[in-house]
Amino acid sequence: MAKKGGGTRATSAARAEFEALLQPLLESAYGYAVNLTRNEADAEDLIQEAALLAFRGFGSFTPGTNFKGWFFKILTNAYISSYRKKKRRPTSVDFDDVPEMYMYQKSSETGLLKRDPDPASQLMDKIDVEAVKDALDELPDEYRMVATLYFMQELSYQEIAEVLDIPVGTVRSRLHRGRRILQKLLWRVAEERGIVGELASQEGN
Amino acid sequence: MSHCYDCKEVFRKLDDYLDRSLEPEELESVRAHLELCEECANCCEYESSLLRCVREKLSRIDCPGDLMKRISARLAEVERRATN
Repeated sequence: MAKKGGGTRATSAARAEFEALLQPLLESAYGYAVNLTRNEADAEDLIQEAALLAFRGFGSFTPGTNFKGWFFKILTNAYISSYRKKKRRPTSVDFDDVPEMYMYQKSSETGLLKRDPDPASQLMDKIDVEAVKDALDELPDEYRMVATLYFMQELSYQEIAEVLDIPVGTVRSRLHRGRRILQKLLWRVAEERGIVGELASQEGN
Repeated sequence: MSHCYDCKEVFRKLDDYLDRSLEPEELESVRAHLELCEECANCCEYESSLLRCVREKLSRIDCPGDLMKRISARLAEVERRATN
């Protein structure tokens, strides 16, 4: 091993410490980045950028505190600064108040609740991963970010509030509304692909 | 003192119940109602299952195996430039 000066050793120790903290959450951070950018190449660029920003600011991180929340906040801000502007996605969905428990109500109306002991799973098993991700992607940014952190990272309202730097009450209302809109989008997929019709025409158990 | 919720109240609080963000008294009132009301219990179970399914599908991400290595290389480069 090459001889290193004291300054270099200290810097390498900091990098080793940083990487040891980053490694365990890299997969979930990458998943979050993919759901934000909807593009694997952009997701990797975003992760690289966030890692660089976080490493440069590592001196401001208090050891023993929530590294995941700290890093996800940097990642989120990097996304907002660099990528969010690029996306101007027109949406086809009417975001006016969607009733609560939308899919449950629709399933009830179409007789799907009686077909299986777990009718939600029965329906969702027929909707592929890409369709679910596309549905998430149709949400307005502010709902999509909250929903992504909730679904993928299983963060609490408080943790999401800290990552996004918004009040807990805002997290709650965006998450609830975002989930309702997502249900409307998923039901639309199920109808368009004939899944509802297929399940409704099956014999009950 | 907690009071018994009716279906309408439980319906309104179901999102918070599923997110485990109710106060203990409210939580108890919702649970008590769910034990007695089959319709609300079915609705709750449906919502819970739906959230599970969505979470499971959104979590299917293939992280590149060498991503950490590439990040590490970039950080090492930044370090080298900073110490030169």
